[in-house]
Amino acid sequence: MTAVVAAIGRSGARRLSVLGGLARFALGAFRAAGRLTRAGRWVTLRVLINQIRFTALQAAGLVTFLAAILSFLVISQTIRQLGRVGATDLIGTVIVVAVIRELGPLLTALIVVSRSGTAIAAEMATNRVMGEVTALEAMGIDPYIYLVLPRMLGAVVSVAALMILFDAVALTSGYLAAALSGMHFPRYSNIVLTTLGAKDIWLTLAKGLVFGAAVAIFPSYHGLAVKAGPTEIPQAVTRGVVATIVAIFVSSAIFVVIAA
Amino acid sequence: MPPATVRTARTTWLKQAMSFGVDTAPPLVFRDVDLKERPDHPDKRFQLTVEAGTVVVAIGDEDSGVGDLGGWALGLRRPPSGRVEVFGAPIGALPYYDLLLFRRRIGYHPVGDGLLQNLTLRDNVALPLRFASDHRQAEVDGRVNLLMDDFRLRSVALLRPAQANEEDRRRAALARAVALDPDLVVLEAPFDGLTSRAGQDLLDRVSRRPDGSRRAVFATVQDLVPSVRKTVQRVIKVADGAAVEEAP
Repeated sequence: MTAVVAAIGRSGARRLSVLGGLARFALGAFRAAGRLTRAGRWVTLRVLINQIRFTALQAAGLVTFLAAILSFLVISQTIRQLGRVGATDLIGTVIVVAVIRELGPLLTALIVVSRSGTAIAAEMATNRVMGEVTALEAMGIDPYIYLVLPRMLGAVVSVAALMILFDAVALTSGYLAAALSGMHFPRYSNIVLTTLGAKDIWLTLAKGLVFGAAVAIFPSYHGLAVKAGPTEIPQAVTRGVVATIVAIFVSSAIFVVIAA
Repeated sequence: MPPATVRTARTTWLKQAMSFGVDTAPPLVFRDVDLKERPDHPDKRFQLTVEAGTVVVAIGDEDSGVGDLGGWALGLRRPPSGRVEVFGAPIGALPYYDLLLFRRRIGYHPVGDGLLQNLTLRDNVALPLRFASDHRQAEVDGRVNLLMDDFRLRSVALLRPAQANEEDRRRAALARAVALDPDLVVLEAPFDGLTSRAGQDLLDRVSRRPDGSRRAVFATVQDLVPSVRKTVQRVIKVADGAAVEEAP
């Protein structure tokens, strides 16, 4: 019995230790921004632009495609079901609450995690294994500034931008589904605009900030935690991506509670 | 959070260590250091002082512990016992961010070359100037151009490390080590895979400062060819856990 309690305690302590490490890591990444040198700012900006190109621009096609399909399916099915009870006006609630407020940010973040989160974790782990992180520290360069900060800023900007893109495509695709069911544009736009509020805009931006930071911080943390060698890289990528997905779902639930 | 007295002491060490031209402490001192966790000869300790402007090379076998000296000098690791002082500061005792700042006075060439694989050789050389100094972009470019010429890297500047040959990679790594014009340069196995002529040439370039004076260089190697020995002031053989002076 004592052994069982001890094992649970050890596991809990290990998880708490990881959480503490993550919190310190995130704080370090934010504080690094204040220590950027003049020339370093230009280089960081260049890395940031590259990061946005890889994370946002190259994922834009996939996000557009999935947003269009998802919204089209949801609105087609909803109109069909609601039409039977004469409540088609409720599609505004469905598209805003289900698609724009919840599914959009989640799906966008998951796309970015699967593309860029894996890349960030693998790159950081490789940097660590190749001794590049030690080389940076030996030169007096803070690895947070060189490695983590541009990726974090890039992920935040990219996730927020992709969420806005997702919303725009979802609304357009939702209209196509509604039009096929005989709903005209003035009625569709009226229903959507009546439901869409300022809260949805700040929620999208806040989720972009939180999910974007998670997409960079969790994979970076697990990637830089690699010690043993190259065989540990795939495990670090898996740990980083799983932790990011869990964090995104948990923070999404917290957003629901806050916004209620 | 360390006690206030410890914090004050560390700050004093950092101030002393960062005060250019004021402190008279030797660039690098190994004091009573055990080269291994379990030394073969517990009664013997490693002692070495690297004076300003001198080139000191420590030679030793792979299992002699000589390979750890560079990491200890940079504060990347701590010796099992004894202490390492750089410009009078016990480098292993400095807090992380003070240590990062302090290392800007020290150039470092790790085993291999430590170049960042996703950067060109030129960007690798520019890295410490961009992120560990407060130079303007134009000043960084000017200094990098000088280094690329001095280390004969102009023609391979835009290659990535994997595309360059071993000698060019070594040249780039050494140019990066002296980019901030440090007072002390620590080199780990800097001559591996180089011809004796290239090794001699590079050691000369690393030890020479832009104003013509000489900086302190401490290198750890497993073997030293005679032609390179000529440019070295002191050769130390690491044997049985202690330093034995050899003729250069």
